[in-house]
Amino acid sequence: MARSAVQLNHVHKSFAGTHVIDGVSLEVDPGEFVVFVGPSGCGKSTLLRLVAGLESPDSGNIVIGERDVTDVHPAERGIAMVFQSYALYPHMSVAENMGFGLRIRGLAKADIATRVARAADILQLGHLLERKPKALSGGQRQRVAIGRAIVREPEVFLFDEPLSNLDAALRGQMRIEIARLHAQIGATMIYVTHDQVEAMTLASKIVVLNGGRVEQVGSPLDLYRKPANRFVAGFLGAPRMNFLPAHISGSEGETITVQCSGMRLALPRPGISVAPAAATIGVRPEDFILTTSTVDSIAGELTLVERLGGEALAYVRSDASPDEPIVVKLPGDTDVLRNDAVRLAVRASACHLFDHHDVAIGAPP
Amino acid sequence: MTPAAPTRRMPRSGRINAVVRYAILIGVGFLMLYPLLWMIGGAFKPNHEIFGSIGFIPNEPTLDGVVQGWKTSTEYTFATYLLNSFQIVIPKVILTVISSLLVAYAFARFAIPGKKLLFALLIATILLPKSVLLIPQYLMFRELGWLDTFLPLYVPSAFATEGFFVFMIIQFMRSLPPELEEAAVIDGCNSLQILMYVLVPLLMPALISVALFQFMWSMNDFLGPLVYLSSVEHYPVSLALKMSIDVTEATSWNQILAMSTIALLPSLLLFFVAQRYFVEGTTTGAVKG
Amino acid sequence: MIYSDRRLGLAYAMPFLIGILVFTLFPFVASMLLSLSDYQLQDPISRAGFVGVDNYTAMAADPTFRQSLWVTLIYVFVTVPLKLAFALLIAFVLNFKLRAIGAFRTAYYLPSILGGSVAIAVVWRYVFANDGLINQTLQVIGIEGINWLGEPGYAMATVILLRLWQFGSAMVIFLAGLQAIPNDLYEAATLDGARKWTIFRRITLPLLTPVIFFNFVMQVVQAFQEFNGPYVITGGGPLKSTYLLPLMIYEETFKYFDVGYASALSWVLFLIIAVMTAIAFRSSKYWVFYANEKDAAK
Repeated sequence: MARSAVQLNHVHKSFAGTHVIDGVSLEVDPGEFVVFVGPSGCGKSTLLRLVAGLESPDSGNIVIGERDVTDVHPAERGIAMVFQSYALYPHMSVAENMGFGLRIRGLAKADIATRVARAADILQLGHLLERKPKALSGGQRQRVAIGRAIVREPEVFLFDEPLSNLDAALRGQMRIEIARLHAQIGATMIYVTHDQVEAMTLASKIVVLNGGRVEQVGSPLDLYRKPANRFVAGFLGAPRMNFLPAHISGSEGETITVQCSGMRLALPRPGISVAPAAATIGVRPEDFILTTSTVDSIAGELTLVERLGGEALAYVRSDASPDEPIVVKLPGDTDVLRNDAVRLAVRASACHLFDHHDVAIGAPP
Repeated sequence: MTPAAPTRRMPRSGRINAVVRYAILIGVGFLMLYPLLWMIGGAFKPNHEIFGSIGFIPNEPTLDGVVQGWKTSTEYTFATYLLNSFQIVIPKVILTVISSLLVAYAFARFAIPGKKLLFALLIATILLPKSVLLIPQYLMFRELGWLDTFLPLYVPSAFATEGFFVFMIIQFMRSLPPELEEAAVIDGCNSLQILMYVLVPLLMPALISVALFQFMWSMNDFLGPLVYLSSVEHYPVSLALKMSIDVTEATSWNQILAMSTIALLPSLLLFFVAQRYFVEGTTTGAVKG
Repeated sequence: MIYSDRRLGLAYAMPFLIGILVFTLFPFVASMLLSLSDYQLQDPISRAGFVGVDNYTAMAADPTFRQSLWVTLIYVFVTVPLKLAFALLIAFVLNFKLRAIGAFRTAYYLPSILGGSVAIAVVWRYVFANDGLINQTLQVIGIEGINWLGEPGYAMATVILLRLWQFGSAMVIFLAGLQAIPNDLYEAATLDGARKWTIFRRITLPLLTPVIFFNFVMQVVQAFQEFNGPYVITGGGPLKSTYLLPLMIYEETFKYFDVGYASALSWVLFLIIAVMTAIAFRSSKYWVFYANEKDAAK
C-alpha cells in the first residue's frame, strides 16, 4: 500500500556530550497526523528539527518519501515548518511573508500570487494580506505562519509547539482549526507538544518520548488504554494515574492476583503468567470507588476536595500510597468533606499492572 | 496601643525636588551650550562687537564674517575643503558599514575556528592606542606611494579596523531571535540572502548608528589628514580650518568663528536629524556589553 | 545548518582577518622594531640601523619626555575622575520623569559630538583668549581677566576644561545604565525602610558598576590619546605645559624626523595604557557586579 512518508532509522544526536536523541526509529504514514509528545527535555523538538534538517544526526538516517534526506538541505527536503514563535519577518507584509520562500526559489510572480491567495483562502487571511505582523493578533500571526507552510506545498508539515504562546481560550480554538486543516488538505503532519490534551485530540498516532528514547507509539486511545510502561501511563490522562506499591501473589489462567495494602485484587490477564514479585498497580482517578465496606478496600483521609462543577477531585492521604496523595474523581455533587475518613475500593478490571522494571504486564481488557 | 517611634512622613519634597532638578539642568545646559551659541552669534557680528560684549545675539548683524570666512584667507574656498572632506568621509562610511556588517555576521553566527581568540583581538583593537600604529602605517603608505592622497584615510575602513562598530553590530545581532533565520533557511536562503533579506532590515537602526558615528568621527579627524595630506588643495575641512586661523589676521574673529561654524554645520545638521540613533548606538554597546 | 560551515564564516570574517594582520599586528610589531632603531624619516627604510635600547635610555634622561609624561599624567588623572563624576551626577539629576529629558540629553550630548573637532578647539582658543568670552564674563562679575593661554597652569586648565565639556557621551551611557535598574528594587528598598543615601550606596551604585567600569576604561584610553585639543589651542605650550605625549610623538616624527625615538615614545605610551587597563580589568572582579551572569559571560 502506501510507503511511509517519513522514516527515522536509528537516529542518534548528542549536544555537548549529552545524548539528546538515543537511538530513535519511527515511521510516519502518508496523511497521518503524528504527535511527538513528552516532558521538557525529552528531545521532541530536537527530533523535529532533525526531520527539518536544522540539525544533523550523529548517526542513523532520515528518509522522506523515497529519498534519504539525511544530508539534504532543509529547503530541498519537501518540508515546511511552523515555529513556536511563528518566526514571521517583521518588516514584510503577510503576503510577502507567505511568498518569501517561493520568491527565493524563483517562482513567477503570478504563481506566487495564486498560491498565496489559495492559502489565505483556506485560513481566512484574505483581508489581512497587506498588514505587517505587528498589526496582527496572536491567532492571526499563527495562521500566517501556517499559511507560509501551506504555500510551499510540502510533503510533510512540521509544527513545533505552535499553540504554546496562545492563551487557553485561543488554544482550544486553534486546535480545532488545525484539526480541520488536516482534514481539509490531508497532508502528512508531524506535531510537537508537551500538552497531552493536544496530543490526544489531534493525533492519529502519538509518539511518547522520554530522555531521547521512544517510550511507545500508537493511537491515542491505545496509549491511554494500554500503556506499555509506567511512564506512558502516567503521562497521558489528567489528573494523572495513581500508582500504588503492590505485590503479585500468583497468576492462574485468566487472572493475576495482586495484594495491595490489604486489598486482594484479581486482575484479568488471559494468557499471562508471572512469578510472585514486587510490582506497582496503576489506577486512574475515575476507577476508584468510595465504599463503606472494609473488605478489599484501603483506608484514607481526605485532605482536599477540588470542586470543578461537573466533577470533583478528592485528594486522599493513605498508607497505600506513601509518597503522594491518591486522586479520586467523584461526581460533582459529592458531599465528602475535608478530614473525612474514607475507604476506597478499586475496579479490578480497570487496573493496570507494572513489574518492578515499570514495564506493563498485559493491559486491562 | 502606644505608637513606637514617630512614623516617617512620606516626603513632600516632590515639587521642590523637581524645581531643583530643572534649575540645575537648565543652568548647566546653558553653560554647556553657550560657547556654541557664542560661536554662531559671533559669526554674524562685526569684530568690535565680539570683543565688546558677551551676549551672543548680534546687535549689528552682518554677513561679512561669513562671506570672508567662506572664502577663507587661502587660495581655495570652503567649497573645495568641504568637497575634500566628503570625498574622504563618504567612502569611509560606506566601507565601514559593509565590512563591519560582514565581520559581525561572521562572529555572531558562524562557528569560526579560533573565534574566542579573534573576539579577544577585536576587543583589544578597541582599546589599543592608535599612536603606536601610526608611524609604521605612515611608512607603509609611503612605500605604496599613497601619500597626499585620500586612500590611507579610507582604505583601512574596508577591513573593519574599527572594532567598536563590529562590536556594536554583534551585540545587536545577538538580541535577534534565531527562528527568523531558521525560517529563512527553510525558505531556501543562502547566507548572503539571509543577511540581505532578513538581517539587514532588522539591523537598520544599528547600521544607521554606525554610519552616523563614523561620519562624525571622520569629519572631525585631524591627525589622519595632518599626517597624510600635504597639498592644500587636498585639505579637508579640519586641516583647512587650522591652516586658515594661522593665516587669517589676528583680529578677524568673526571670520574665524564663521569658519568654525561652517565646518561644524554638516555634523550639527546630521545630529539634529538623527539624534536618536546616536544615543541608541552609544548605549547598545555599553549597557548590554 | 549553514552556520556550521566554518569556511563560510571565515570568508565573512576575511576583511577583519586581513585588516588585523596588515593594519594592526604588523604595524604593532614594526613599531617595536623601529623603537630599537635609529631610523630617520627622510631616509629609505633600508638605512635604519639597530641601536638596541638606546632610544629608551635617551628617553629616561630626556627632560622634555619627563615633562611630557608629567603633564599627560596630570591630564588623565584630573579629567577622568572629574568627567565621570560630573557625568554621573548629571545623569542622576536627569533620571527623572522629565518630559523634556530628550532635549536636555541632546544639549549635553552635542558638545561631545563636536568637541573633538578642530573647529571647537579653534573656538576654545578664542573663548579663552585675553579678550575672549571667559575673560569678558569674569570682568562683568568684577574679576580681572586671566592670561589663560599664556600661563602654564592656566593653559592646562583650558585643555582640561575642553575635555570636561564633552562629558555628554559618558553621561548618556550612565543614564542608560540608571534607567536599566528596575524600579521595583527601589520600591522594595523603600518598604524595607532604607533611606535615600543607603539606596544609592547599596542598590544603585553596585548595579551601575559595569557601566562605570566600561566608561572608566574607555575614558582612560581616550584621554591618553588626546591630540587635537592641545595641538590647536596651545600648540603644546606655553613652555611645554600642555605638551601631551601624543603631541611629542607627532613632533618627534614629523618635525624632528627621529622615527626611532618617536616609536619608543609611542611604545611607552602604549605600555602605560596597557598597564592601567590591565589593572582596571583585574580589579574589576572585586568591585564590578554583573546582575545577570549570562550577560557577563557574553
